[in-house]
Amino acid sequence: MAQETITREQEREREYRNVGKPVQRPDGAGKVTGETVYADDIQLPRMLHAKMLGSPYAHARITAIDTVAARQHPGVEAVITAADLPDYKLNASNRRGIIFPQDEVLFHGQPVAAVLASDPHVAEEALGLINVSYEALAPVVDPIEAMKEDSPLVRSALHDVDRSEERGHVTVDVAEKEQSDKPSNIASDMNFKRGDIEAGFAEADCIIEGTWRSGMVHQSYIEPHSTIADYEASGELTVWTSTQAPFYIRDELAQTLGIPENRIRVIATEVGGGFGGKIYLTELLVAALAMVVRRPVKYIMSRREDMLAATPAPFAQVEMKTGMKRDGTLTAVQAKLVYDSGAFPGAPMLPGCLLAGGYYKCDNLDIKGYEVLTNKVSVGALRAPGAHNATFAIESHMDMMAKQLGLDPLEVRLKNAVEEGDPLPSGQPYPRIGLKECLEAIGNSEVWKRRADSARSLDTSGRAGQDASRRRGIALAAGGWMGGLQPASAICVLNSDGTVNVTVGSADITGTNTSFQQIAAEVLNVPLDMVSVTTGDTKTAPYAGMSAGSKTTYTVGRAVKLAAEDMRRQMLEIAARRFEAKPEDLEVADGVIRLNGAEEKNLTFARLGKLSTNFAAPLPAILGSGAITARKMAPGFTVQAADVEVDTETGEVTVLGFALAQDCGFAINPMSVEGQMQGGASQGIGIALSEEMLYDSEGRLLNANLLDYRLPTTRDLPPIEAIIVEVPSEEGPYGARIVGEPSIVAGLAAVGNAVAEATGARVYEGPITPERVLRALGKI
Amino acid sequence: MTKQLITLNVNGERHEVAIEPHWTLLETVRNHLRLTGSKEGCGTGDCGACSMLVDGRLLTSCLMLGAQADGCQITTVEGLTQNGTLHLVQQAFIEKGGVQCGFCTPGMIMAAKNLLDSNPTPGIDDIREGLAGNLCRCTGYAKIYDSVLAAAEMMKARAER
Ligand code: FES
Ligand code: FES
Repeated sequence: MAQETITREQEREREYRNVGKPVQRPDGAGKVTGETVYADDIQLPRMLHAKMLGSPYAHARITAIDTVAARQHPGVEAVITAADLPDYKLNASNRRGIIFPQDEVLFHGQPVAAVLASDPHVAEEALGLINVSYEALAPVVDPIEAMKEDSPLVRSALHDVDRSEERGHVTVDVAEKEQSDKPSNIASDMNFKRGDIEAGFAEADCIIEGTWRSGMVHQSYIEPHSTIADYEASGELTVWTSTQAPFYIRDELAQTLGIPENRIRVIATEVGGGFGGKIYLTELLVAALAMVVRRPVKYIMSRREDMLAATPAPFAQVEMKTGMKRDGTLTAVQAKLVYDSGAFPGAPMLPGCLLAGGYYKCDNLDIKGYEVLTNKVSVGALRAPGAHNATFAIESHMDMMAKQLGLDPLEVRLKNAVEEGDPLPSGQPYPRIGLKECLEAIGNSEVWKRRADSARSLDTSGRAGQDASRRRGIALAAGGWMGGLQPASAICVLNSDGTVNVTVGSADITGTNTSFQQIAAEVLNVPLDMVSVTTGDTKTAPYAGMSAGSKTTYTVGRAVKLAAEDMRRQMLEIAARRFEAKPEDLEVADGVIRLNGAEEKNLTFARLGKLSTNFAAPLPAILGSGAITARKMAPGFTVQAADVEVDTETGEVTVLGFALAQDCGFAINPMSVEGQMQGGASQGIGIALSEEMLYDSEGRLLNANLLDYRLPTTRDLPPIEAIIVEVPSEEGPYGARIVGEPSIVAGLAAVGNAVAEATGARVYEGPITPERVLRALGKI
Repeated sequence: MTKQLITLNVNGERHEVAIEPHWTLLETVRNHLRLTGSKEGCGTGDCGACSMLVDGRLLTSCLMLGAQADGCQITTVEGLTQNGTLHLVQQAFIEKGGVQCGFCTPGMIMAAKNLLDSNPTPGIDDIREGLAGNLCRCTGYAKIYDSVLAAAEMMKARAER
């Protein structure tokens, strides 16, 4: 199956007018002036502020809660515990299905009660007056220990695990097996097998084994979770919330609170960063509080609460064994992946297992995955959830095998890279993908070219050899992501002045509305400013899936294209009737419909707008609609190269350069695509070098702030080189495919490989901290 | 709690505000003057989203008490736009893609303005040093560096005209 690769130049020859060109975001002005309204900027009349009391224990039984003193505190309007909540459908398998625990607390920081007051300081003070009696239970902290038969249990047994949120991020045809028989901390497990693993090792000339660990990390959007809810006397519930998933929240609230979906309005406020972490978390809690007090309630998580009790990304351990022939053919991949799910199921074990064996052609696979419960906060998605953990293992192995066999790391990957038609570990074949093209593209990056230069001089010392203790290394790693699939729709209406409004239901977290503007303007062949795009709320907007799984442009973009085409077709039909011509004989440009060869026969959009909106107008209003279902994945691959310097005295790793090539299918707005690539890569570098949530043996989080949980700063990040590769997808608008997530996937592996290249020592655990480097060097 | 009357000169406008002693400058400006451009990302001085210029110095306003700013000249992001015209730093952030989710942006722009006021021709290393107190989780900073470089160019071009 030959891949049809359309180069960027060829695309440009097709002369698109609006798509494929860098466009400034129309929402930029509001953001640089401070005008943009985020959830915490909203003040409603009679609004109360909520503060939460979190559990100081990772595992405990609540024996009593005494709220008398807190209720009497001046200024306190209400103190709410599990006993005061409205009726709701409790779902113990899901974090959001339990507003406050009835008795058993499962992680440090789990909210157990709320105080409401008009003054947030008063609410905060009153928290200290609530007296909760706990009976401490043994916390289960280490997932590897938790798997042992004799481990204490994290919690009482579960049934009917709800996995709807995970499916939003990655949608593939696989069913996991839930553990049901004997109570255990293993929530689910799976096994992908292909060929004969032992035969695969038997043919190998080189076998590498390793155990790879990657720490628990936090999305660390700069805006913490922020939600306001109001339950009106009419029985309507309105929720303003910083979310990627307004319709998903609406559906969940409806089911849990027993309110019909048409009486719930979820307004996705501007999202100050989500990265998979802002799907559905505080909304049910805040809605329930508003229902109790019948006043608007605002809850803004403090940074500490957000670190303790949101949905970070899991720790994982991957035991891997791989084999390769002397000629570079990969013969076997065996892996056991363990994801620490925290106190509730929902860890991204499935994508981890798919990717561990999904980058390369290999006849023999045996990949096992385990999702293990512990008494830690339950995990969620962070940009390609689960992918970097698995990639760390397989991409380190590729480098190690190449090195042992004396092969070039880029060539080895090119030799084995998956292509269209190759099966995923699940057996499902890949559609058209661009891994090979990314491998080729990274070869042309500045960073990779420097490697060739430094290899020539055979000098591995850093900064021109000033200091022998500084070692330099450049290496690469590949990565990929499948993406999610969900139906989507859009509407497109003609205004009386000829301008066009597009309405969608997807939260714009990455500049997708700008891309939709480009798509609609392309279809209508008008300048960009004739089109304006709005995200409606769940009562006014046509349905869209969650803005997660990198699928917003891929799915909603298709719906916008259809809606604009529908509107265009209607306008052409009207014009054709008026000119007594066929629609095919008309052309549309710049807001004017003309009959070919008869210049005087023309109809402007503005005229059409008036004819379809004025008093006693002859035409019905013009409204185009588009709705799609998405069934075909459009996986996005990336190859990333890191240039690092390691100080072998201190163990410190400095990133001198970083480049990534990523297949975006077709970059509708190259400026925002590059921004996504650089942003995701920076998060990958954070995962590689500094980010890790640290728990003590009692399951208490030790670094719940942005000083001790270290995000990359400007000091840590050189300008990241982004190389857009375009291998068109089959279904995406103009060939666009998933973009947002792949960029985070390969950073840990690339940096790990570069550190090994620099020092000759392997660090098997991320983040690659100075301490771990010194250990690997045998210095401590 | 007894309130205390203080005077804040914010973006050239004089405000008398009755505040409680524990209110931070950030919450005073956001919740009581209703200038919500400055953001709270952490409340502990670690992210820079709340950065303001106080008597010409770049400060994290979440760590400063309102009372400490009594009588001070304060510039917030809202104060950079003059008569509806964007400051060149603001313009450059839009043009170069230095804005994504926008939550770090007000603080980042104040830090960038502060840097350019003292060093009108910064190189990449100066920018990396000058913005080191401001976290951005979306951009990986690459387009923020481009934005600041472009702003410096635009300011130079304007000065030459
Ligand atoms: S809110 Fe002030 S530094 Fe983060
Ligand atoms: S643009 Fe989102 S944090 Fe900087």
